[in-house]
Amino acid sequence: MPESTPKPAPRLPLPLPALMAAAWLVPGLGHLLLGRRSRAAVFAAVIVVAFVVGALLQGELMFPQSGDPLSYLAFIAGLGNGALFFVARFLGFGQGVVTSPSYEFGNTFLLTAGMMNLLLVLDTHDIAVGKKDW
Amino acid sequence: MLDHFTLMVLHALLIAVFFAFLWKREKQERWRYFWKVFAALVLGAVALGWLMYPFPRP
Repeated sequence: MPESTPKPAPRLPLPLPALMAAAWLVPGLGHLLLGRRSRAAVFAAVIVVAFVVGALLQGELMFPQSGDPLSYLAFIAGLGNGALFFVARFLGFGQGVVTSPSYEFGNTFLLTAGMMNLLLVLDTHDIAVGKKDW
Repeated sequence: MLDHFTLMVLHALLIAVFFAFLWKREKQERWRYFWKVFAALVLGAVALGWLMYPFPRP
């Protein structure tokens, strides 16, 4: 079977690290900058809705706590939300109300929103280097 | 606030849309994948709930 020739990497609007940072900071921005407008809109909508629902359900954007290894993972996942993490913290959302019946649901929405955004950063990378052509 | 089942369905919906657009290119295969993931998450959670039913918390 003939070896497939790698596709040339598309022309980038920004250097790759800056592009990935933009993709992390604003959900969907990486795809938008690479011209994937409809996918960017869908991704941004999904992540923002998940994040807002999580915050409204009184979930927590966690910080690392010594002696609690899982809190480090939760912090990374929460930080994956990019600017949403900082804006929500600044506005007083995402403090987490442990006694609320929806606390765990809120956490689930916030963490999955962050992890989905981290997957988008990787997807942006793959498109930028030509591994994915759509 | 919304009940737990509605929240679970909303969560499954968001996840299914996200992965359908992340991994599938064509419209038809996106729809197919969306329904597959959505059904797996919702029906899987309900099935797991039933399996856990005989083991109530003390």
